[in-house]
Amino acid sequence: MKLKITTALATALLAQGAFAQEQGGRLDVVVQPEPPSLMLGLVQNGPTQMIAGEIYEGLLRYDTDLNPMPGLAESWEISEDGMSYTFTLHEGVLWHDGEPFTSADVKFSADVFLRETHPRLRASLEYVESIETPDDRTVIFNLSEPFGPFISVFEVGTMPMIPAHIYEGTDFANNDANNTPIGTGAFKFESWERGSFIHLVANEDYYIDDLPHLDEIYYRVIPDAASRAVAFETGEVDVLPGGSVENWDVARLSEGDNACVTSEGWEFFAPHAWMWLNNREGPTSDVRFRQAVMYAMDRQFMVDVVWNGFGKVATGPVSSSTNFYTDDVTQYEYDPDRARELLEEMGYDGAPVRLLPLPYGETWQRWAEAVRQNLQEVGINTEIEATDVAGWNEATAQWDYDIAFTYLYQYGDPALGVSRTYTMDQIERGSPWNNVEGYENPELDEKWAAAAGTADTEERQRLYTEIQQELVDDVPVAWLQELDFPTIYNCNVQNLVTTGIGLNDGLRDAWIEE
Amino acid sequence: MKLWKRFARNRAALVGLAVLIAVIVLALAAPLLYPGGPWRMVQRPFLPPMGVDGLYLGTDTLGRDVAAGIVYGARVSLLVGLVSTLVALCIGVPLGAVAGFYGGWTDEGAMRFTEFFQTIPNFALAIVLVAILQPTLGSITLAIAIVSWPPVARLVRAEVMSLRKREFVDAAHLAGLSRPRILISQVLPNAVSPIIVMASLMVATAILLESSLAFLGLGDPNAMSWGYMIGAARTVIRSAWWLSFFPGIAIIITVLALNLIGEGLNDALNPNLERAGKP
Amino acid sequence: MVILTAILSRLAKAILTLLAIAVLNFFLIHAAPGDPAAVLAGEAGAADPQFIAQLRERFGLDQPFHVQLWTYVSNVLTLDLGYSFRQDAPVSQLIADRLPATLLLTATAFVISLTLGTAFGVLAASQRGRPADSLITTFALLFYATPLYWAALMAILVFSVQLGWLPGFGFETVGGGYGGLERVLDVARHLVLPALTLGLFFMAVYMRLTRSSMLEVAQMDFVKTARAKGLRGSVIQRRHILRNALLPVVTLAGLQAGQLVGGAVLTETVFAWPGIGRLMFESLEARDYNTILGVFIVSAAMVILFNIATDLIYRLIDPRIGAKA
Repeated sequence: MKLKITTALATALLAQGAFAQEQGGRLDVVVQPEPPSLMLGLVQNGPTQMIAGEIYEGLLRYDTDLNPMPGLAESWEISEDGMSYTFTLHEGVLWHDGEPFTSADVKFSADVFLRETHPRLRASLEYVESIETPDDRTVIFNLSEPFGPFISVFEVGTMPMIPAHIYEGTDFANNDANNTPIGTGAFKFESWERGSFIHLVANEDYYIDDLPHLDEIYYRVIPDAASRAVAFETGEVDVLPGGSVENWDVARLSEGDNACVTSEGWEFFAPHAWMWLNNREGPTSDVRFRQAVMYAMDRQFMVDVVWNGFGKVATGPVSSSTNFYTDDVTQYEYDPDRARELLEEMGYDGAPVRLLPLPYGETWQRWAEAVRQNLQEVGINTEIEATDVAGWNEATAQWDYDIAFTYLYQYGDPALGVSRTYTMDQIERGSPWNNVEGYENPELDEKWAAAAGTADTEERQRLYTEIQQELVDDVPVAWLQELDFPTIYNCNVQNLVTTGIGLNDGLRDAWIEE
Repeated sequence: MKLWKRFARNRAALVGLAVLIAVIVLALAAPLLYPGGPWRMVQRPFLPPMGVDGLYLGTDTLGRDVAAGIVYGARVSLLVGLVSTLVALCIGVPLGAVAGFYGGWTDEGAMRFTEFFQTIPNFALAIVLVAILQPTLGSITLAIAIVSWPPVARLVRAEVMSLRKREFVDAAHLAGLSRPRILISQVLPNAVSPIIVMASLMVATAILLESSLAFLGLGDPNAMSWGYMIGAARTVIRSAWWLSFFPGIAIIITVLALNLIGEGLNDALNPNLERAGKP
Repeated sequence: MVILTAILSRLAKAILTLLAIAVLNFFLIHAAPGDPAAVLAGEAGAADPQFIAQLRERFGLDQPFHVQLWTYVSNVLTLDLGYSFRQDAPVSQLIADRLPATLLLTATAFVISLTLGTAFGVLAASQRGRPADSLITTFALLFYATPLYWAALMAILVFSVQLGWLPGFGFETVGGGYGGLERVLDVARHLVLPALTLGLFFMAVYMRLTRSSMLEVAQMDFVKTARAKGLRGSVIQRRHILRNALLPVVTLAGLQAGQLVGGAVLTETVFAWPGIGRLMFESLEARDYNTILGVFIVSAAMVILFNIATDLIYRLIDPRIGAKA
């Protein structure tokens, strides 16, 4: 099996939208909250990824079905044994300061910079034995063992290209250049008025002719959700990225004149929400209690009312838009009586259970209130604990909770975004993103490892199906729903969402119809 | 009785008292009126007021009865307002009394301490305290008390200072009473009226402060309060005005009533000022 | 000279107070659950302990507590408010960026509330018992009882959403490219609603205070003497009563001018006004220690400055006080 994909495919993809694009114009996009920094190599939170994804670029981009597309690499090749990945870089790429972009930058980024600063990539780089750069436009990643999802790690947020001529040999975190990010992307950093806006302008020297179409982008900081909605209605902003207004407002705003809504652009992340159930102690350590929690919740009501119909009930650990999903698992319908039976069977004594909401705004607060109500109705003595981001983080990372809301990205592949929640080697105090619930199942651990360590797709599907079936019966965590973060935008904006990470790298293709 | 007569002469104060009593009665009767509690999802979300029988004030984002929220919210507002004022009095009265009565270094020290607390921005300090302790009814009450005691200390100090030079204090001295006894049994009782007036106004301020904290998301998540309701409804204000409108009105009415009562008490307890301050 | 030494001794005390505030808040903030590294790691969506340890080391959080405290206090003594790792900028710069917006908002609100408040107060006092008085007193009571944030929301609903007269949020039209006078007008339009709602409550306070103070002074002996001398009513009002009645108003104004800076958190949040109140609230949630402490120190310094200024004004209005001190 030899894969060779060239720019021909990309050109074909682009051609679809290539009629009569108009050049010029300014786009106003809401960013919430204000990012701490735009240096994507150092900071990877949501707002940073959204803005810095236009400044920096990765080797590959991914369409909404998660197929790889050319980015800085115009073509790539995977050896048959799945042990080496060869990329050919685009010709004539310049950094925003005019220096040429070469394979040395790729090696520096992956091997030096990101290995030190990027925890998520670091895990995948464990499989990389060496990176070769035979010439300026060729990069070869040699793996130490096959790693099924490796082709999915070249997205801009996962492996952004960092300029070696600026960072090599410096103290990365304290480099002055962090405040004026230099990338290869279609937009250049212009200015940042803290508390107000971030201004990007078109990169005149971008290596694809005619791109970008827009002259400039303003990312507007508006801290109040209602104000953000008003800003869209009055036309002050053109794009409300997913999650920037409350769901109740999404429905209302989308009915407005010239307002368009899309749920696309999140496939790569596939945000999946669940509640950590502390498997170590308290009533939640009993599998019957955990199953009772699943039966007690009216999850469809939560999708319909709390999320205003956006999203869908999760069937298990893997999102339906992630590869290797199966729905052939035990289904937990809303069944309060079954929940009461299970509680009685285990002899639940009414011990108080703390519920920790995710401090991300009104929707999440309402969600916790709805869950509390559901749990109280079957007799679980539930109290919500108030918290903020730091408090939530501390409580989950230090395992000091009974039930706690969370959601995580899946990054297209169970080996990248799902296994970290359930395998025993991921049990380590101090991080809220690993196996926080304390689920231990050595047998499944072996299957997870086997599934990641093969490039055979059928074998992977078989293993992942078994894993999902067993997990759903064990209920290590209480899966809630696949989140849907609809993007609302002015219909005059064309080609806004064209990739699996949507707004994070898509604005280079966007244009405004006058 | 004379007191009541003087109080009753102020019509507005009487109205305020009636309103406050009504609010208290509603708060006490909440479990009888709405046995399911304020969090229960009773109907479809976003029902406008008077839309469905029995739901006079409509339903909120999850289909909970707004009227139930208002009634239960009264409990939280009154409780936090009252308890935090009591705690503030417990800090401010002894401190101010000792400072004013003993004077000298004691006074200097106590007043430096008070000034120090007045220098830190009030509301900001309350926010920090609640955030650190994590929002519960207890921590909110404590935070409000901590930011609102300094004026009490100043008032009590001023009162005590002017009282300690009066003849009856000298008489007590001659009678051989100890200084702490004199302070507690002779001086303080005479300073009670202005403290009561101030306390009634402090309850009003505390209610506003609690609602502001809750509005910012620093409320107790297990206690339905008016500020929480407005904060939660802020994002839907254009499609569901009633969700933030009614709790706001509830706050205004209650705070107004307390202010009117405070003025009435002021008139009744300080008859001299009354002539000057009131028509 | 007397005034000068008085000011100097107050400044010395002020510095001690500020240090004490820094230390107290340092303890408070470090007592909060979580730290800035945990928040940053939390937001990154992925973090291993190595990443968090790196962050802690970078932020100096791996040092023993007393070392951190000492570093901070000695920095503050050299007028260095430290560095915000969260925002990757010196705290002094963050505050300098945000302070003008807050000062503009609070100064405007302050002027509105003080002038309107005293004016209506004087009017009410002179019309005592007549309809104008009742009307003014009623409105003052009402404003006094209205939660600021609620008034702000209703103002946005009415004037921005329904009527569309004024912008409902922000400091200026972003990217409007206005210069000079145009920009001033643009900012002014954005300023109207926040300044009015913030000023409303204080207007009520000043109005009530002025009114009762006027009525109280009117009963005093020297006013009666003036009347007996046959001076005209308006002269008495202006020269004798108002001048004396303003004393408590000035005291309160001095106290509140400083507090306004901290109290603007709510207004700034609702109107998305880029001031230091919001900076503080956001920094608190992000556990951005240095920034919160910086905001506290700066706003406490404002309170102290205003108190000193009040004293000076007091001396101008009432020369007797100088003699007493």
